[in-house]
Amino acid sequence: MTAAARCEPALLYVIAWLTMLLLAGISLGSAYLELGVLAPVVEFGIAASQAAILFVLFMRLKGPPSLKWLFAGSGFFWLLFLYGLSMTDYATRRGWPSPG
Amino acid sequence: MATVAADLETPSFLTSENTLSSWLLTRDHKRIALLFFASITVFFFVGGFAATLIRLHLAMPIGFLQPSIYNRMFTMHGVVMVWFFLIPSIPATLGNFLLPLMIGAHDLAFPRLNLASWYVFNLSGLVLLYALIMGGVDTGWTFYTPFSTLYSNGYVLAAAMAVFINGFSTIMTALNFVVTTHRLRAPGMTWYRLPLFVWAIYSTSIVMLLATPVLAMTVLILAVDHVLGVGLFDPGRGGDPLLYQHLFWFYSHPAVYIMILPAMGVVSELVTCYARKTVFGYTGMTLALMAIAVISFFVWGHHMFTAGISIYSAVVFSLMTFFVAVPSAIKVFNWTVTLHKGSISFDAPMIYALGFVLLFTVGGLTGLIVATLALDVHLQDTYFIIAHFHYIMVGGTVSAFFGGLHYWWPKITGRFYPEMWARFAAILTFTGFNLTFFPQFILGYLGMPRRYYAYPPEWQPWNVLSSAGASILAVAYVLPLGYLGWSLIWGRRAGPNPWHATGLEWQVSSPPPQYNFARTPTVTIGPYAYNTEDGSYTAQDGTVHA
Amino acid sequence: MPSRTLHPEIQYRTLDQQGETAQLGMWVFIATETLFFGALLFVYFLYRRAYPAAFAQAGKDAVLWCGTVNLVLLLTSSLTMVLSINAAADGRRRAIAAWLVATALLGFVFLGVKGYEYYADYADQVVPAVNFMIKAGEAPVGELFWVFYFVATGLHAVHLSIGLGLILYMLRRVRRGDLSPAYYAPLEVVGLYWGFVDTVWLFLYPAIYLVGR
Repeated sequence: MTAAARCEPALLYVIAWLTMLLLAGISLGSAYLELGVLAPVVEFGIAASQAAILFVLFMRLKGPPSLKWLFAGSGFFWLLFLYGLSMTDYATRRGWPSPG
Repeated sequence: MATVAADLETPSFLTSENTLSSWLLTRDHKRIALLFFASITVFFFVGGFAATLIRLHLAMPIGFLQPSIYNRMFTMHGVVMVWFFLIPSIPATLGNFLLPLMIGAHDLAFPRLNLASWYVFNLSGLVLLYALIMGGVDTGWTFYTPFSTLYSNGYVLAAAMAVFINGFSTIMTALNFVVTTHRLRAPGMTWYRLPLFVWAIYSTSIVMLLATPVLAMTVLILAVDHVLGVGLFDPGRGGDPLLYQHLFWFYSHPAVYIMILPAMGVVSELVTCYARKTVFGYTGMTLALMAIAVISFFVWGHHMFTAGISIYSAVVFSLMTFFVAVPSAIKVFNWTVTLHKGSISFDAPMIYALGFVLLFTVGGLTGLIVATLALDVHLQDTYFIIAHFHYIMVGGTVSAFFGGLHYWWPKITGRFYPEMWARFAAILTFTGFNLTFFPQFILGYLGMPRRYYAYPPEWQPWNVLSSAGASILAVAYVLPLGYLGWSLIWGRRAGPNPWHATGLEWQVSSPPPQYNFARTPTVTIGPYAYNTEDGSYTAQDGTVHA
Repeated sequence: MPSRTLHPEIQYRTLDQQGETAQLGMWVFIATETLFFGALLFVYFLYRRAYPAAFAQAGKDAVLWCGTVNLVLLLTSSLTMVLSINAAADGRRRAIAAWLVATALLGFVFLGVKGYEYYADYADQVVPAVNFMIKAGEAPVGELFWVFYFVATGLHAVHLSIGLGLILYMLRRVRRGDLSPAYYAPLEVVGLYWGFVDTVWLFLYPAIYLVGR
């Protein structure tokens, strides 16, 4: 696989960039929509989508070697264990959060 | 490329260049391994010095150390031994030396990163030494909040920064090992033909990479809380001190597996070679290593059973802890079955390996005891816990480290150590170790708390036994310093393969050439192709030896 | 100026293998940084979940226009960075340098905006341990939001500054003729690092600037 084969046409990147800006605008707008508990889901979901575009396209996860996917995803995947198992405590502990 | 090929057949890596800068600026993984060996040996004796003072002090119900000094001693012992000896010990020395050789590569993927890792390690050591000389830290190696952030008058910031910097060294080394294992294996060296030591180093490196960054963030927030007096861990300002413990143990439990996985890899190499028998259940052994690495991340809450986490959380973590014991037990079973009907010789490395299997088993079984919630409420923060983890880390890891050191000593230095002295030291280690730490199980059961500078007089006999054992252990650890050093000058010269072993590292000269192999080998067979009946073997490059 | 004939290092068979391995190494590093910042975000999520009103209240003082401008700057810099790499694949040396300079400029402007924002925060008296004042109607625990803010944006700024250093170093190598279409892995590796710096801001943005709307 030659180096040149890894590169996409510049226009694709410009479109992706505009998409990410659009998503940022949607995220900002959604903050004013009184979504309640859904607000962080939407906002961070959009952030994750932007990150996915950045990773796959700009940071060329698509190209060889495919091992990159494993490394790129492992960090995020592993955070699930930190978050999830910690929440077994924080979601069920009486006295958390302490009042006042 | 022609000049490079000629270089590949030159003198050994020890003698190819002799200037100081050729060592301090080397890119050779073998030289970097020796540089690391020098550093960790220094720290081993610093941590050992603290242990000596502790055991001398505890030989009496109220010893000679002031309480605040005693607190600084056990803290220093823990911090130094965990981060500056145990974690780097096998990976940065034996791992660095052997990984490229075992996979048939000329060096690691990133040689300059490897050298940088050593310099960063030493920098962190200097910061720690600064903290120790200026007066030390008294929080315990765990730096629990809010004592460490609000009340301790020790050098918490310096110690935290030392640990932070040390983490970079760990990550740099682990990154190198993972990428090297994926990308630089010789032709024919498939994953399932790798020696188990390589699998062990690889799984260790995965744990290092996924756990250490969380420690970095934890000590960083600790430092911010401590220096700026803000309240992320302060209950008085809405913070949760248990959050510190969750974050700390998310790293520190996998950290203990960072310490044991490489040791398991060494033991697999030793057991197969000295029993002249291929390992039982190779695939199971590789899966067990990876399973231990993964499940080790799910159990950290068992350090917090009595800290105030919810009972539901405690039950989850207890269950996970039982799960993590299973792959370890599989490994012990497989080593034992490997020995069965093997042709066993009791050279010093094998004595260390057998000691490992016994002592690790005791440590593991007592781990199940404290994984049980109903028992842990009584045993937590007692000497039972101390005995449990020392059986694994000292009886386990240090035994395996010494075993590997002796096994590969002829390869690294080209010299034999005196066998009788080595066997004596190995047996002395086993004896001294058990005398030191078995009484501590009893003390813990009787209720003696850890990190207390005094105890009721009726417990003195057990403490005296323990301290007596420690003095024997100290001799057993200093002896190798003597005879291994002696061997460098007067030891019998070793050929390429004194143990008649199958690994690629044994198919090159002792010491190895600067770039390991004149030509990249082609691997045609898995590891450990020993014929138990007549002692012949097939090396991994396909050559058959009688 | 002709580019030098490059040989792979002794442990590699080909330049392609060396270049791909270098990229893999950076991806492993990015995975560790994910866990580093992810742990910090966990602390944020935990306390936001525990004190939702206090965080929303505290977040109102975050300077939205600074955060948003910085988001646009960084996203644009990722575009210029990838265009620089595209130029390297074609061997267009002046274009490589031009896009790198653009990336660096955007990064420097980011730091400038951040510096101004810190000044505004100081004026608003929201700096913990320095001049933090609880305003009327605010819960004291809202200070935790600001501790997170300064730790997170401070760490991000440090990483961004390192990235700027790497870009300037790359500019020097480009000027020396070190890169060619056959081997421009160092630039790709710097590009990956820059992408990670951008990603961190993608997640910090809603955490800091949208919580108080």
